[in-house]
Amino acid sequence: MSAAITNGVRPRILLCECAGTMASNLDFDWLEQVASEQGEVLRSSTWCSREGQARLLEMTETDDGRPLVFAGCSQDFAAQRFQRLYARGLQMEVADIREGCSWVHEAGGEAVTDKASRIIEAAVRFPGPHSNKLVLKRKVDSVLVIGGGVSGTQAAAELAQMGHTVELVERRPFLGGRAARIGTVFPTNDCGQCLPTTDAQAGVRKCFHRNVAIDNPNLRIWRRTEVESVSGKPGNFEVSLRQLPNIVTQDCVNCGACEPVCPAESAESGGKAIFTEFYDGRVQRTVDLEACTFCGACAEVCPMDAIDFSQSPELTTVPAGAILTAVGCEPAPARLIEHLGYGQENVVTQTEMSELMDDWEEASWLGQQPAKEVVMIQCAGSRDRRRLPYCSRICCMIALKHAIRLRTLFPEMKVTICYLELRVAGVGYENWYLAARRAGVEFLRGTPPRVQFDDEGKPVIEVEDVTAAEKKILRPDLVVLSTGMVPVPDTARIAEVLGAELDEDGFIAILDRKNRATETSAEGVFICGSAAGPKALVECNTEASAVASEIHNFLASAGRRTPPASVVDPAKCVGCDTCQAACPFGAISLIERSAAAPRPTEVRDDGKLAVIDEEACRACGICAANCPELAITHNLDDQLLFGRLRTMTEGVERPVVGFYCKECAGAAISLSGLRHDRYPENVRLVELPCLGRVSALHIVEAARLGAAGVFLAGCAEDRCQYRKGDLSAEEQVELARELLEEAEMKLPLELWHLCAVDRHTVGRRIRLFCARAEGNEEAHMAGLALERTGNPPCEGGEGCVHTGV
Amino acid sequence: MSTQVSEQARAAVHELAGDCLQCFQCGQCRGACPNGFDLDQGPRRVVRLILSEDVEKLLACEDVWRCSECRACSDVCPMEVDVAGMMAAVRELQVTFGGVRCPERRAAAIATKRLSRKGSIDNMLFGTAMASRGFVPKDLLATAAMGYKMASGKVRRSPRLGAKDAVEPKPFYVGCALQQDKSALQATARVIRELGFPLAEMKGAGCCGHATRGKIAAKAESEETVLTACPACDHGLHESEIETVPVWEALVEHARREERKLSAKAPRFVPYVGCLSDRDTALASLAEAAELAGAEMVSSYPSLHAGCCGALGGMYRGASEAVHKLVVFAQEEAAPIVTPCLLCRDNVHSAGRKQGVHVYFWPEFFQVATAAETTADGEADD
Repeated sequence: MSAAITNGVRPRILLCECAGTMASNLDFDWLEQVASEQGEVLRSSTWCSREGQARLLEMTETDDGRPLVFAGCSQDFAAQRFQRLYARGLQMEVADIREGCSWVHEAGGEAVTDKASRIIEAAVRFPGPHSNKLVLKRKVDSVLVIGGGVSGTQAAAELAQMGHTVELVERRPFLGGRAARIGTVFPTNDCGQCLPTTDAQAGVRKCFHRNVAIDNPNLRIWRRTEVESVSGKPGNFEVSLRQLPNIVTQDCVNCGACEPVCPAESAESGGKAIFTEFYDGRVQRTVDLEACTFCGACAEVCPMDAIDFSQSPELTTVPAGAILTAVGCEPAPARLIEHLGYGQENVVTQTEMSELMDDWEEASWLGQQPAKEVVMIQCAGSRDRRRLPYCSRICCMIALKHAIRLRTLFPEMKVTICYLELRVAGVGYENWYLAARRAGVEFLRGTPPRVQFDDEGKPVIEVEDVTAAEKKILRPDLVVLSTGMVPVPDTARIAEVLGAELDEDGFIAILDRKNRATETSAEGVFICGSAAGPKALVECNTEASAVASEIHNFLASAGRRTPPASVVDPAKCVGCDTCQAACPFGAISLIERSAAAPRPTEVRDDGKLAVIDEEACRACGICAANCPELAITHNLDDQLLFGRLRTMTEGVERPVVGFYCKECAGAAISLSGLRHDRYPENVRLVELPCLGRVSALHIVEAARLGAAGVFLAGCAEDRCQYRKGDLSAEEQVELARELLEEAEMKLPLELWHLCAVDRHTVGRRIRLFCARAEGNEEAHMAGLALERTGNPPCEGGEGCVHTGV
Repeated sequence: MSTQVSEQARAAVHELAGDCLQCFQCGQCRGACPNGFDLDQGPRRVVRLILSEDVEKLLACEDVWRCSECRACSDVCPMEVDVAGMMAAVRELQVTFGGVRCPERRAAAIATKRLSRKGSIDNMLFGTAMASRGFVPKDLLATAAMGYKMASGKVRRSPRLGAKDAVEPKPFYVGCALQQDKSALQATARVIRELGFPLAEMKGAGCCGHATRGKIAAKAESEETVLTACPACDHGLHESEIETVPVWEALVEHARREERKLSAKAPRFVPYVGCLSDRDTALASLAEAAELAGAEMVSSYPSLHAGCCGALGGMYRGASEAVHKLVVFAQEEAAPIVTPCLLCRDNVHSAGRKQGVHVYFWPEFFQVATAAETTADGEADD
């Protein structure tokens, strides 16, 4: 179809001898002669040499519309060698006759040269797509940050400092989040209400209320505000915000005259309905609107006239190029720790313990000891399949911190930590564990199933001391539960509004556990801090900075270059939802078919029609492989694929066909080629953007062309670069198996998961597969065994079992 | 053990290991186990031995026979391992592949053998016989002697239990222990009669099967919910999928509904519910009975509801560590011990003889108050 030769333009074929490294099995004279049937052959000993590149540059710049085909090293290798030329607009099809042919086959014989000629022919006649489309080009230079805790505020401040407009949205009236409200934090044993500063303030960190980084003119703070809805596209969102009034205006000087006259009690403040929390200091006071009776008593006594009841909730829409969610997490609810006596007088959580600590410190000055014995129970409600199945990671360190403090304040107090496993992995954390042991904290390996109480309400704990293998009874005066953390209640709603997925524990899922820990499944929506799972402050701070750079890159980059998107042919589409369900990027939607739109004959009513969003499409080809009507055209369409397959397998009696994705499997195969790891030359490889591009038809076609075996190689398990390509390929392989069985064709059919580390083994794997396809697997294995024993290698000849090894 | 047998056992343990791979050895199973203090190794260690596929040690493990099958371990396991099921499976392995000859196992085997021929088992005589064969530790021979003494006064004929004119009498499963204990049975019958509770003894019902540790199913059938006097029967019948409710719970509820008062033998008492009773409901029902009788329940002893009496779910074996502590506590409080379990009564009784602490079975302590009656009802049981 798009084969250049049919357009009447004669392509240039740059035949590279790679400095003679392919001379052992390629006859270049013959190759030149055969290739000149396809186009004008320009032969060089090294096209990547200075002279070669100069010639190539000249060809690029004169651009006479004649396509270039480079026959030499692999795509990966060529991309490195011709990096500068590519940057200057070089476009060429690569026919890999080095790592894909000469270097991986035995010396001599015409078969290798023949294979190289087929590779060149396939590249000339069936070239892949070259034009890359730029999407997400225009972006709004503004970031919406949801959550004014440590993570969100720090990221917001850094983004503002980089020059972006930032809208920082906080549900509560005050910034600072959970860290500002608890006492001291590990691993530094100081407070958690400081952030790094800007250049305007010397020093490394400052409290929220004194930190001018937050007062950056680019940063707007939305207190008492929730995100109602989000529309638009990545790079250009419209976010509607709902803000409740603060009632107390900026004129407030925090004299506190209002508090004594307020008649209403508030659960939020733990005191009156008009209250202060001096964490970020930019708003002095506020009113709990749930508890306020609007009696106006406070307004009457206010000397500054700073109380204004005429304010009302406001709906605002702000534009945002990117959205950062930093909604955080909160301690597990009471119902998850009731079995451990929570709700009774002598049982508290570690959070409550940190509040209690202030009073206990005073008691220690007075020489009093509020409790003789304290027992801390780790994993309270956590790592429990019926409660919280996960580890919250911070509870062990919190327990160590509190236990050490208790032993320091009260040297006579017995402090026992009942633990399941102490997870104190972090910089310097092990020293805390040692410090706790030195402080005389007792560590009991084993967690109790419940906490009971005697008649006086004193806790009684029956627990197995696992290391001593005996059951013990503890009767502390106070039980401290190290509870896990759970997502904030609003998490699921926010995720839905943002179009992001949740993980199995209910936190917002990160895009990739290894490489993209600050992105969500929704493009343009980022994440940091405990919204993605419980984290210590050190991690929150690190992630906040990381995500700020990430968002900066996203907003500042020119956009994303993507190969042409797949296209639905309305004349063939019947409006089923197969493609929509298969697309890993949500790029396909079903729309009402307009009366004028073409349709297949069997579709009588208007019905639905699939449409692919060009910007969201990543051109993996999964939809095209799955479409039952073959109505979707990928940029590497079926005609190209079948054409390559036919060309590559021609003239080989029993080819072994391998489809591989150009991502991880491609890396493994090309690196294996660099190692000169040899396999038989009847192996014919077809490169795909993603293994999800393979459909059963391609496999059956390979079999029809006489393949002795077909293997498919994709990314490592669960690590498909296009998320679901390997799953799609698996289904297609099963389908192909059924079709082949019906046609009574029997051949080995395998799906492999490869990544770059498999470069050492992929050659071996292909050799074994070839032996299996030939039906002499046993002989192959025998040969291998013989080699391993150290006996002299086989000489070949009659009865040799080393074919293809 | 032949190699072949050992291979089979190994394969069986390997299969078991597949069902508890998620175990992270937190020890909550033993923490919850009412017999936990009296075990050598405990359920956690049994699971560990399964995971390390240590067949020899598993086949020599006596603890699995001390399990009273209350399933507390399985209920609390945070990783949802069926710990009680693992214990039962190891018992099964020991039966099939030999191994340890521990007293509990031998007793269960003899009970199984006897029950395969007869419909019921004589609990007192059985315990005594076990002791005389040396399956009970020597220092606990006093327990065995107790068994003899009690057994000699046993009643074979069951008296009428329910009210005659009851419209729809509920089925009452008497069980072996109550049937053979004259004083307990008579006291039970009296409470039921005086309250006018509609109850009828199940006809032709045999052993509940608990003594065999699940080897033999209950020799009883019922579609209805059955009332029981013994927590061991609860378990045995449950295994055969018969619904049960402890009779004491039903009686207390009935008394409250009918606005009847109970009388208590003493103004205060120490409750003890043993390992087999559902602890929370049994304690609640004791507390309610105390309220109806105007008696005080002294429950400041922390582990009284958790420790095993020593019967370890069926056999007369002697008092446990927990029970010794309980007796000392009751002595200090100068209060008798009241239990809803007959097995507990006998074991605690034998433990408390030296201290002179009285131990009562529920109906021996609580009776229906009549106008003529005072709170002190008749002589103390010994």
